Amino acid sequence: MDLAALKTQLKNFVQSMFEEGVLDNQFSQIQALQDSTNPNFVEEVITLFCNDAEKIINEINRNLGYQNVDFSNLDSYVHQLKGSSSSIGANRLKLACANLRQASDERNKEG
Amino acid sequence: MQGQLLIEIVMRNRLTALVVDGNTTCWVLEQELLHSYGVQTLGVDNSKDAVDLIASDAKFNLIIIEKILPVLNGLEVTRQIREIGVRCKMLEVTACSGESERQAFLATGVGAFIEKPLDPEHLVHILRELDG
Repeated sequence: MDLAALKTQLKNFVQSMFEEGVLDNQFSQIQALQDSTNPNFVEEVITLFCNDAEKIINEINRNLGYQNVDFSNLDSYVHQLKGSSSSIGANRLKLACANLRQASDERNKEG
Repeated sequence: MQGQLLIEIVMRNRLTALVVDGNTTCWVLEQELLHSYGVQTLGVDNSKDAVDLIASDAKFNLIIIEKILPVLNGLEVTRQIREIGVRCKMLEVTACSGESERQAFLATGVGAFIEKPLDPEHLVHILRELDG
């Protein structure tokens, strides 16, 4: 596939993520920050976010695996993930964190 | 992918800001957003470095601080910075918070309290205020 076609495919993919609510307006802001002085900004930030998020999600899973879940420790991880996902425009992930926080507040391990 | 910033302003002065956030993604994004408005920024990822920097007389027009931080929490750091005598605008930016926490922060004299993400609308309003 040639470069132009790949770019179009990527653009369409990103657009569908906006339409499905996976991404929100904050992601547009990040796209707007990319310019000739910082040409790979979007890619760099996404990579950074994914690395951070993976570590945090692993920690969350680990915490949830315990018999007695330490909800305040869990809360701190969820807070971080919510912060970074909302900052990057990962809307659905941000909403999932809010739900997780709610369940955590209710000490609801099943939730 | 390139685009226009959703809000554009022309600044008269060169402002400086300190960003304090333990989360790298947020830290990078907040600094880049500030850079795009011509603000010179410094970033630290923990409370101790933030307090040490302020205590060493580094001057900033704006300090942006997250609630949950390594070493000391954001509320305590804000208090310490105010106790050192720093009167510049401080902005608390955090992922989520209740009303009582918001009030606690505002009581320390932090200028403003917003939920993440740090968006241009809020930031531009503050930058315009600081720019005079």
